Amino acid sequence: MSFSEQFPIVLGSLNVGFLQTLRLFAITLIGAIPLGLVISFGSMSRIKPLRYLVKGIVWVVRGTPLMIQLLIIYYFPGLVLKNAIWGSGEMGRFFASSVAFIINYACYFSEIYRGGIEGVSVGQREAGLVLGMTKSQIFFKVILLQMIKRIVPPMANEIITLVKDTSLARIIALQEIIWAGQSFLKGSQGISGVIWPLFFTAVYYLLFTGVLTLLFGKIEKKLSFFK
Amino acid sequence: MKKILAAALALTLTIGMTACGSAKQSGESDAEAVKANGKLVVGITDFAPMDYKDDAGNWIGFDADLATAFADSLGVEVEFVEIDWDNKVLELDSKSIDCVWNGMTLTDEVTSAMECTNAYCNNAQMVILPKDAAANYPDVESMKDLVFAVEAGSAGEEEVTALGYNCTPVKAQADALMEVAAGTSDAAVIDALMAAAMVGEGTGYDNLTYTVGLNEEKYGVGFRKGSDLAALANDFFKSAYEDGSMMAMAEKYGVSASVIAQ
Repeated sequence: MSFSEQFPIVLGSLNVGFLQTLRLFAITLIGAIPLGLVISFGSMSRIKPLRYLVKGIVWVVRGTPLMIQLLIIYYFPGLVLKNAIWGSGEMGRFFASSVAFIINYACYFSEIYRGGIEGVSVGQREAGLVLGMTKSQIFFKVILLQMIKRIVPPMANEIITLVKDTSLARIIALQEIIWAGQSFLKGSQGISGVIWPLFFTAVYYLLFTGVLTLLFGKIEKKLSFFK
Repeated sequence: MKKILAAALALTLTIGMTACGSAKQSGESDAEAVKANGKLVVGITDFAPMDYKDDAGNWIGFDADLATAFADSLGVEVEFVEIDWDNKVLELDSKSIDCVWNGMTLTDEVTSAMECTNAYCNNAQMVILPKDAAANYPDVESMKDLVFAVEAGSAGEEEVTALGYNCTPVKAQADALMEVAAGTSDAAVIDALMAAAMVGEGTGYDNLTYTVGLNEEKYGVGFRKGSDLAALANDFFKSAYEDGSMMAMAEKYGVSASVIAQ
């Protein structure tokens, strides 16, 4: 089969894989951005046991490879609890990957949020208290916006890393774009022993992170109104 | 609210992290569980001519057709799931699949970790070399200074290691071919059935060729350790071989010369 015959078949397959990559990326952000905030509150809590517990969790999640976390989350329910909660199909693998990615990224995000919140000077909080604002008013009306402004560059960094980390989900056979590219090495849809689709997947990642970089640049500019 | 959320999160994680231990036999019949579930979940990889997709996206191939017929004989539906071949025992033990039916070579490792059927198909491990170098290596003895690329955990790796030759384990048989094509390894060892499909004239690797077979080996189907489905599959092989339906499937995919009499 010539290259021009292969190209549309490979592209179709890579598109399907990339769609799965995008889905995992989107659901991770939707889950991890709010969950990260919850975790960051936990790690700043005045209740000591809670604070240590949350810090312990963050330590475990950040201290172990995401690849191991994926394997544990997907295989352990069936292996140890004797109840394969995820099911066998592609959907089950996607749910398990989503849970693993959301927990993992929420922990990283929580530390970025904590940095952002603690970076807002104490004077602002005190001013809010003097004006008789409640704690939640102070957070949402005074701190939050300044925090968001501070965390955009580190968040952009994490989010771009996330785009590429989604490829780790192939360890539990989630058929994302790397899986799709690799399948032509072994043989799929009548094309076998072809190397270029695997390398070609890099173009997809590069284009997508390019779009994200531009987007974050715009957001940063929009938020530069305190200067 | 914060506290409850954090506590719930902590709980899920602790369950996940602390639940360490080896899988034990549940005791109940696997065949009954599959029948109750209404489907047999078959773990495969995309591996022509055993399991691959037709133009409509349905799984076909010698193994796929056999597995479908076996599920029919149990009175259940068949569901094919693509798995990472390295994790096949994990997939079985965690019950995300019921069997692996994908041109699996019966080795000691495989038979000790899974409940395997009788062999139903012959195979061999072939040495793959660049076409222009093949003439220099007519037999196994002459290859002792080569660096072999082999799939990690494959029968090919076992053979090369047994010979005491230098080998580099890679992720998949296809990666082993890529190593030879890229010149990063001198030779590769892969399945004969796969070599026939992927190497030589008219394939993506027309500058490679296969030369010497290292061994004879046999394909079997793997079920969970202790599963009663393996015995049922053996009965199925016997009846399918006797009524000729197995040979008909084999002819359809050009592997009839390799089928083993049941």
